[in-house]
Amino acid sequence: MFNEMYQSESVIRNHYNNINDWLDQMTSKVILEKNAEAETHFRNIGITFSTNNETARERIIPFDLIPRIFTYTEWLRLERGVIQRAKALNAFLADIYNQGEIIKANIIPKEIIYKKKSFEPSMFGFSPPRDIYSPIIGIDLVRTGPNDYFVLEDNCRTPSGVSYMLENREIMMRMFPDLFHNNRVTPIDDYPTRLLQTLMSLAPIKCENPEPVCVLLTPGPLNSAYYEHSFLSDQMGIEMVESTDLFVEGKYLYMKTVDGPKRVDVVYRRIDDDFLDPLCFNPQSVIGIPGIMDVYRTGGVNICSAPGAGIADDKAIYIYVPEMIKFYLGEQPILDNVETWNCEKEQELKYVLDNINELVVKEVDGSGGYGMLIGPKSSKSSIDKFKTKLSTNPKGYIAQPLLDLSFSPTLIKNQVEGRRVDLRPFCLIGEQAQLSSGGLTRVAMNEGSFVVNSSQGGGVKDTWVLAE
Amino acid sequence: MLSRTAEYLYWISRYMERAETTARLLDVGYRMSLFPNPSGYNNEWESVLSAAGAIEGYKNKYKTIEQKNVEDYLFFDESNPSSVYNCILNARNNALVVRTSFTPESWLAINKTYQEILNLKQQQFSISDIPDLTEWTIEQVNLFRGSLSSLLRNDGYNFLFLGLFIERADNSARLLDVKYFVLLPKPQYVGGNIDNMQWSILLRSLSSFRAFRWAYDGNITATKIADFLVLNNNCPRSLSFCIQNIVKHLTNLTCSPEKVGRIYNNLKDLNTKIQEEKIETIVEYGLHQFVTQFIRKISSVDNEIHKEFFN
Repeated sequence: MFNEMYQSESVIRNHYNNINDWLDQMTSKVILEKNAEAETHFRNIGITFSTNNETARERIIPFDLIPRIFTYTEWLRLERGVIQRAKALNAFLADIYNQGEIIKANIIPKEIIYKKKSFEPSMFGFSPPRDIYSPIIGIDLVRTGPNDYFVLEDNCRTPSGVSYMLENREIMMRMFPDLFHNNRVTPIDDYPTRLLQTLMSLAPIKCENPEPVCVLLTPGPLNSAYYEHSFLSDQMGIEMVESTDLFVEGKYLYMKTVDGPKRVDVVYRRIDDDFLDPLCFNPQSVIGIPGIMDVYRTGGVNICSAPGAGIADDKAIYIYVPEMIKFYLGEQPILDNVETWNCEKEQELKYVLDNINELVVKEVDGSGGYGMLIGPKSSKSSIDKFKTKLSTNPKGYIAQPLLDLSFSPTLIKNQVEGRRVDLRPFCLIGEQAQLSSGGLTRVAMNEGSFVVNSSQGGGVKDTWVLAE
Repeated sequence: MLSRTAEYLYWISRYMERAETTARLLDVGYRMSLFPNPSGYNNEWESVLSAAGAIEGYKNKYKTIEQKNVEDYLFFDESNPSSVYNCILNARNNALVVRTSFTPESWLAINKTYQEILNLKQQQFSISDIPDLTEWTIEQVNLFRGSLSSLLRNDGYNFLFLGLFIERADNSARLLDVKYFVLLPKPQYVGGNIDNMQWSILLRSLSSFRAFRWAYDGNITATKIADFLVLNNNCPRSLSFCIQNIVKHLTNLTCSPEKVGRIYNNLKDLNTKIQEEKIETIVEYGLHQFVTQFIRKISSVDNEIHKEFFN
């Protein structure tokens, strides 16, 4: 068991000394006050989940006051590892939508690519600007030891959570300015600027504008990440549009403005593939912009991330990411994958069924911590249920060992207790590849729990990377 | 600026303005209920409901006019589209969408108001809490308006203020429409208690009670009040002040001069007339008719703004 703050029961890791002193001098009264202040702040700025019931109180994610800290050296390795992975994932997408070298080399079987729903046939033979399919990648990492990091999953479509990363820092700086005087914490508030630079560097070939017009496309206020959409577009100073604000005329995409139509060069979309273009994807969809795919394919607009980028973060493809790194970059993977059994394969399914008590079983298309079984923590009856599911639909599942996620000190009822955490840093790839100097640390607030998802009682923490 | 953004900004300030008007009317009704009134309290509550444009909705819901019900209907009722609660809810839902188009302070002002009214709504109120609720509402609306002063003076700013003055012009005119008769010369009551009371209702509901005394010397007369509320350009709720500001924010728009021109053409006759007319002529011609025409004109300008900019 690895604890982020304690080297042993009595020894504090060096980089946590300041935080430990700070915790010692904080009274429970102050903790209560600060917790209330944080909650009020998050409510007031509106960083909430929306619910369909308008009069019901919106939910906020629990925020833990104790930051999670990385040293400069620790972070350097993560940074290199995440960027390496993000490059390989983009190379993979460029390959499978063109020559398919990795299939010819017999590294990934073609069925698992071309039969996936997330594979987008209409992308075949088309190359987006700079061959970047997924310019914003969120990589979910867990730690089990001083130097042991594992990638749990890659998020290549529209990873969310970056607004929490930024707002958590804002509230910490506001409530505890002294902490930032006494610790050399790398700032993260330039993330929106870097995101905008990344998007602008991915302008389509027919763009004539030296400063490409970017917009953020949101499904609307009922989406659970709506706050993030408006936050990011605000910070970048770009329009947040819904699909009804956009239309195609001729070979270009326009938004409806009070001045009349205005041409759009780059769409940072936060909606799913299915809802992009009813002419191309889902004819039943009432949202979407008819004809946008045509404009996209003829270089009139860029869509970030590219339609079909989701194949790269498919749980069945995940298994092959270390191979991709070797194949496309000629490098050894810096970050490890979690050992994964693909239930589609008969032998591996057998192993999973025999050892299910020790394993975590996940749905291939599941997310948010739903539809998974944590073998060591489950009753016999739910294990039996999962065995039936596995036998009837083996290709819908993968299994992994239960990782001993690191503990981070967390305030529970005014007491410091260890709770398990993960980490999602955000990688940007455009003209250059870069990693946010921090990320979103999610924490399983329930004692002994392994599930950090906000839908399942998870909270968040500020994440510090100390300067060199 | 996105057409939808312009539309939402326009409506945010309409809703905030309406919240204030409704709260002020409620306060006036409450005040009246404390005074002996020969014509009975209920009449007053009825004219408050009419001025708030809520009389039909109220009568569909309640059989008789009771103070407690009127207050609840005007302040908290979810089925009344103009209740203070609904105005704040709608302003907040719009603000959620366009928060990027105004300052964080403006968003905070609206969102805090919304958070607080959710709390207020859960509490039990007695009739005597009305002044507090009104005061709270006016404070919140002022907080929002104050936050607008740090906005960029761009088209978004002008759409916000177009919405504010269209709403205010409409609210002021409707109030005059409901109460125009108190401003007609009626020799038998001049200076009588009823007139004084009626005039004070009118002035208070337009937050102009004290301002009027500063603006006009001597005796209070119906004509002076009519002049103040219709033609006085120093009175921030008079019809002429509203029209002037509608013209100002319309012509300040930098987008689509031809659209601005079309709307302006429709408006300029009324503007000229109201700037040049004498109150005596209007009263002679028919105050009621004048006000009715004014309301119609404002509504047609509102329609044009929607058609030209928001579609």
